[in-house]
Amino acid sequence: MSTNHPKVARRHYSISEPADEEAVKAALAITPRGAFVLAALLLCMILAGWLAFYFLLFLPRGTVG
Amino acid sequence: MSDEDIQRSELQWSGLALSALAIVLAIIILSAIALAIHPPSNIEMVDPATLHLRGEFIESNLGTTAADDDTITVRIVATQFAFVPRCTAVPAGKRVTIRMAAPDVVHGIIVIGTNVNTMVVPGFVSQVRTVFAQPGDYLMPCHEYCGLGHSEMWGTIRVLPQTEWPQRPGKVDCDAR
Repeated sequence: MSTNHPKVARRHYSISEPADEEAVKAALAITPRGAFVLAALLLCMILAGWLAFYFLLFLPRGTVG
Repeated sequence: MSDEDIQRSELQWSGLALSALAIVLAIIILSAIALAIHPPSNIEMVDPATLHLRGEFIESNLGTTAADDDTITVRIVATQFAFVPRCTAVPAGKRVTIRMAAPDVVHGIIVIGTNVNTMVVPGFVSQVRTVFAQPGDYLMPCHEYCGLGHSEMWGTIRVLPQTEWPQRPGKVDCDAR
């Protein structure tokens, strides 16, 4: 198992014992990817919500002009 | 994660966010062009002091008029604290032009369950064009605070099925069916 693997990073982490440099590097290698996935998921949810409001609520209520 | 990786991630994220924005704008612009959607804006002036005496909004001309060319025009006066006429008949599935004026203060209308929503400002004619898809009675309250009786100010749009809509041109009221 590579030291970059999350399980390895977790094993090295402890509150009483400060994480060693390898564990910090391993965590930093993975965390931004998770943040990116989470942000993309939220963006997709917001976009899906907007599309649902527009096509299922706004347009069926009749257009005005 | 190196600096290059961070920069690449930020660029990818910017691309994704801009793509989402482009999708939303494209949908709004294309549907607005295809369905002729735009905010009700009609700069047409009328003298509020003589609204009831002469011109388009005299009492005998209010309500719904079906013209020879099958266009439907609704004329309503919004006044403290009622809509005149109180009930207005329109056909389902046909384009309707609603024209409104106020002699006193600023009023507003919203037809519940539709996108009809505009202010009625003294001195101007408010105009909205729409199609009511489903027959039924639609509540039309005043949504701009206009005085102590504001909460009692509401009207009704009665949408009649095509089969019940009079075939002859002329005035149509809520008892038409």
